[in-house]
Amino acid sequence: MATVVRRAGEYPEPVVAWWSGRRLRFALVLILLAALYSASWHLAKVDPGRLLTGLPKMAGWAAKAWPPATDELPVLLLRTAETIAMAAIGTTAAALLALPMCIVAARNVTPSMALYYPARWLLNALRGVDSFVFALLFVAAVGLGPFAGVLGIALHTWGSTAKLWAEAIENIPPGPLEAAAATGASRVKVIAYALLPDVAPAMVSVGLFWWEFNVRASTVLGVVGAGGIGQELKNSMDLLLFPRLLTIILLILVTVTVIDHTSEWLRRKLE
Amino acid sequence: MAAAQARITAELNGNGLVAYTEGLTKSYPPAVTALDGVSFAVRPGEFVAVLGPSGAGKTTLFRCLTGLTRPDRGTVTVAGRDIWQSPRELRLARRELALIFQQFNLIRRLSALENVLVGRLAHVPAWRVISRCFTRADRQLALGCLDTVGLLDRAGTRADELSGGQQQRVAIARALAQHAKVILADEPVASLDPESSATVLQSLRSAVSAGVAVVASLHQVHLAREYADRIVALRDGRIVEDTPAARLDTRAIEQIYERKGEREAS
Repeated sequence: MATVVRRAGEYPEPVVAWWSGRRLRFALVLILLAALYSASWHLAKVDPGRLLTGLPKMAGWAAKAWPPATDELPVLLLRTAETIAMAAIGTTAAALLALPMCIVAARNVTPSMALYYPARWLLNALRGVDSFVFALLFVAAVGLGPFAGVLGIALHTWGSTAKLWAEAIENIPPGPLEAAAATGASRVKVIAYALLPDVAPAMVSVGLFWWEFNVRASTVLGVVGAGGIGQELKNSMDLLLFPRLLTIILLILVTVTVIDHTSEWLRRKLE
Repeated sequence: MAAAQARITAELNGNGLVAYTEGLTKSYPPAVTALDGVSFAVRPGEFVAVLGPSGAGKTTLFRCLTGLTRPDRGTVTVAGRDIWQSPRELRLARRELALIFQQFNLIRRLSALENVLVGRLAHVPAWRVISRCFTRADRQLALGCLDTVGLLDRAGTRADELSGGQQQRVAIARALAQHAKVILADEPVASLDPESSATVLQSLRSAVSAGVAVVASLHQVHLAREYADRIVALRDGRIVEDTPAARLDTRAIEQIYERKGEREAS
């Protein structure tokens, strides 16, 4: 070992030339980003002028919307309940479908790699299509109403939940699983006894997150005719019934806030 | 096949081996040869200490014996079963062999008692495992094992709330609950203080009195001498010493660790 210590100021510092590869790469990335934003600005047809002329119109609506209409409150509450129910049933169905799928799609416990890859592809495909798009397809297949929304939510959430669950499973330490397998226990027993208790809190947390997310998402599902409060929202907007529109927006805000806090509180309790 | 099985069983009864390996070789490409033709046998009711510097192949040997690692060459026979013959043979062989890990490997969120019951998983039907509904006999057995390691009062405590020494004792209770013929312990006291180490080795020693064979890798030569009947030394994946504990002399110990000493000096 060399243990010579020089005085400060005598150490040769690494020399970085201004044209060095790293600096050139950084400049290139900056130019590329600038080009991408400029192209996006044009493609998105951003026009602040139009926003300025549109704002007074919106302010006018807001003025006309007060006070919110209360005469149809019972119906609107029913539609809100419909939205929450859609989210609950859709998320639960998704969770039931995801349960076997996440085992197959987790690299460390999958019964076979020949099943692992197709499972991952399927989940990615389901995750790639939004529940909104699925709902659009199902409205055409099973008709207008919340059932189409339930199916849309279930399919998209199936993919998302199973993928997140599989990742939770892949992240658990392998030791306890090996210890259980080393006693001669079968795969089913190892998964049920050593794996599930470890991942269950993470899995419930993910499930709650998706239920909460789906309540928010299903408020817009009505726009494509898949039932719930979203449908009333679209009708009111079409008919320019602003006081009714305001009631609906307030209802959505209250519902989403309550659900968010409940889900967050439940998830914190799981820690 | 049946004839071969009968021959092996007869041989086992003849030489009384509960587990043995023949020509075990395992390398981790590109450069590491963890085991290089290891033939190793365990007789019932003996306490074997495996010594050797880090990287000598102790852990790989234990993992091969349990079938957690598949050797490149060589055979592993446990309770008369060739463990790589079929998945079924592996499962049945594993029942007869309990492994204690250096890092305990308890299920963090389960209680000490539930962790000990892991030792019963292979003996009960799947529905009992899934519903976590063990028989009274199994629960009593598990509590007895916790009592043996002196943790009866912590039966309901979550594993991740126990100290390191307590966790290792739960892991030993889990191994005892398996009613195996051999207990393998991979550096069971490496991360424990001297007092916990003594308790842990005492528990293993009492298993030996009950007729179970124990194979434990240790780093402390004095512990090996104190607790073991036989000492096996590994170096660079080969067995370099296999002797009754009483006859291990200082020169042999130096030889075991010699190579490591050289490496540290350079």
